[in-house]
Amino acid sequence: MSALEIGIASFPALMILIFLRVPIGLAMFVVGLAGLVIVTDGFAVAFGRLKSETYTTFSSYSLTIVPMFLLMGHFATLGGMSTALFKAAESFLGHRKGGVAMASVGACAGFGAICGSSLATAATMGRVALPELKQYGYAGGFSTATLAAGGTLGILIPPSVVLVIYAILTEQNIAKLFLAAFIPGLLAALGYVIAISVYVRLYPESAGTRPRVPYSERFAALAKVWPVLLVFALVVGGIYLGWFTPTEGAAVGAAGTGLIAWANGGLTRETLGESFLVTARSTAMIFFIVLGAAFYNGFLALTQVPQELSNFVVNQGFSPWTVLALILCFYLVFGCLMDSLSMILLTIPIFYPVISVMDFDMVNLAAMQAEAAREVLALGIPEGMTQEMLNGIQTAIANGVELTREQMRALDIRVTQGMANRIETELVAIWFGILVLIVVEVGLITPPVGMNLFIINAMDRKTPMIETYKAVMFFVGSDLIRVVILVMFPAITLFLLPTW
Amino acid sequence: MYKAMMSLARAMAYIGGAVLTALIVLTCISIAGRLLNGFFHGDFMQGLAPGFADWMIAIGVGPVNGDFELVEAGVAFAIFAFLPLCQITSGHASVDILANSFPAGVNRFLRMVTEVVFAAVLILITWRLGAGLMSKYANGETSFLLQFPVWWAYAASFFASCVAALVGTYMAYVRVYEFATGRILVWDGVEVEQ
Repeated sequence: MSALEIGIASFPALMILIFLRVPIGLAMFVVGLAGLVIVTDGFAVAFGRLKSETYTTFSSYSLTIVPMFLLMGHFATLGGMSTALFKAAESFLGHRKGGVAMASVGACAGFGAICGSSLATAATMGRVALPELKQYGYAGGFSTATLAAGGTLGILIPPSVVLVIYAILTEQNIAKLFLAAFIPGLLAALGYVIAISVYVRLYPESAGTRPRVPYSERFAALAKVWPVLLVFALVVGGIYLGWFTPTEGAAVGAAGTGLIAWANGGLTRETLGESFLVTARSTAMIFFIVLGAAFYNGFLALTQVPQELSNFVVNQGFSPWTVLALILCFYLVFGCLMDSLSMILLTIPIFYPVISVMDFDMVNLAAMQAEAAREVLALGIPEGMTQEMLNGIQTAIANGVELTREQMRALDIRVTQGMANRIETELVAIWFGILVLIVVEVGLITPPVGMNLFIINAMDRKTPMIETYKAVMFFVGSDLIRVVILVMFPAITLFLLPTW
Repeated sequence: MYKAMMSLARAMAYIGGAVLTALIVLTCISIAGRLLNGFFHGDFMQGLAPGFADWMIAIGVGPVNGDFELVEAGVAFAIFAFLPLCQITSGHASVDILANSFPAGVNRFLRMVTEVVFAAVLILITWRLGAGLMSKYANGETSFLLQFPVWWAYAASFFASCVAALVGTYMAYVRVYEFATGRILVWDGVEVEQ
């Protein structure tokens, strides 16, 4: 067997292990190890790698963000921020039809801005909002579905643990990815609110009513939300403005939420210990998957599978849009079975090389050159430029044609195809990352094994799972529509980014 | 036995959590130092009170030297220290959908095999980490800025990794015992469903 064949054979082996309930990180580690031993014909290479690979994987400075964000999320809960967010949203929206459910979504969005994990957001907001939804006569399945869907905002709205992992895998800038996730995250919240209003229109008996709250009380409730805004602005703003690295931002966020929780009396010795235990468990789980993936992907790279696959796809001449659609559909299907982080770690090293060589025509070289040329000409016509040259340039700009080498030299600008390609690659990487993030998150709320559904349903023993399944389809529908919109209009994701 | 292992795993998680907290504080101090250092170097303070500003810089208000080296060494230890708890509480992510339809006996068998392999992998990782520690000790490599020997960081991680391997081995023993006797010693979500 050639190395390539062994690489390809490792996929079914891995899948079988995973479906036999072998922990995903362990399965990747074992298959990677076995593959490496076979390909390199002996234990020397594999064991040599292991001497330092575990340590270097666990001591990654960028990945330090993960435990820090997890701790930050717990501190935010302890500090009563989840309750404050819900009360504020409820006072503004609660009296509308389906308003308490909408308020839950709003509060989830707010909590998502200081928490990087879906499960934590769903669990936290579930504890706060479920009793209230019950009290105001909201149907069981509708309530649980709302919170399960709302929980996914935890990861869509930055900061987000999954995006950090994606950024590291594809060597993209974390700050830019966070920025790009912002508008799609808000659109997600809006889409869920629309889904709720459609649902209560179709099933009016599923939502009760709640009296209107006077404005004085509303603003009093809103005022209690300031710590959330402060932490979000400091962390995401600080990272974006370059005050500190993403890891430092996570440290600032964890320290900030910790201080607020302590000031509110929520952080005691017991709760701090409890936060350590919960953080420890999730962190160990995530890092073991990261380790397994690092080992498995190291083996795959050796067999040249990712490279051969991307060559194959390019040679077949599929349109980039077909490839993208196929990949997103794959994620939608597999997202129903596997958790988002494992899926990203497992598949991005294979799919990303394919996507990165596709031309989505996002950057137009002529348009970039025209913009640069206009900037130069706006300062006055450069010395020594002939009228003929100027006419030529202006015609090129007007017709959207690329400038010649001479024209660029006369303008003293340099905008080459290589530059355009680099920008295109970066934009596609960011856009693809956000799309993947959304489709894998849909998996958290799709039956049969959406994790968020389980978490929320476990809090509400009286509601049968099937009720949750039925109601959540409205939210899944809203997600799918959003994915289509974001695929069709990349600008929605990318326009907040500084262009070049 | 279970109680002892659980206390050990929890103790490691607390220590790891404390280290993580220390790293968070260290990073914040470093950021504050860097911002203040810039402030004292800036035109405003240099114009207003140059003596005071220079004195503050002289006594060392600035970023913590080599902070990211400490973060890297510390977080590696913390994560190794978090592993035992994840092991003993069956916290690793897996795909249940197909296995849920297997008979309980088959699942018990699969779990035994998985847990034994997991223990073997943890022992392998620990052994190789130990080998890495030995070679770092032998070649005397030091970190770039702080110049502390890299083997210190390896040694801390190696210690935590030993505990993870120990707890992993105990869990393998538990699952073997469960398969052999049919008595469940350590309950988790999987067993409750069955």
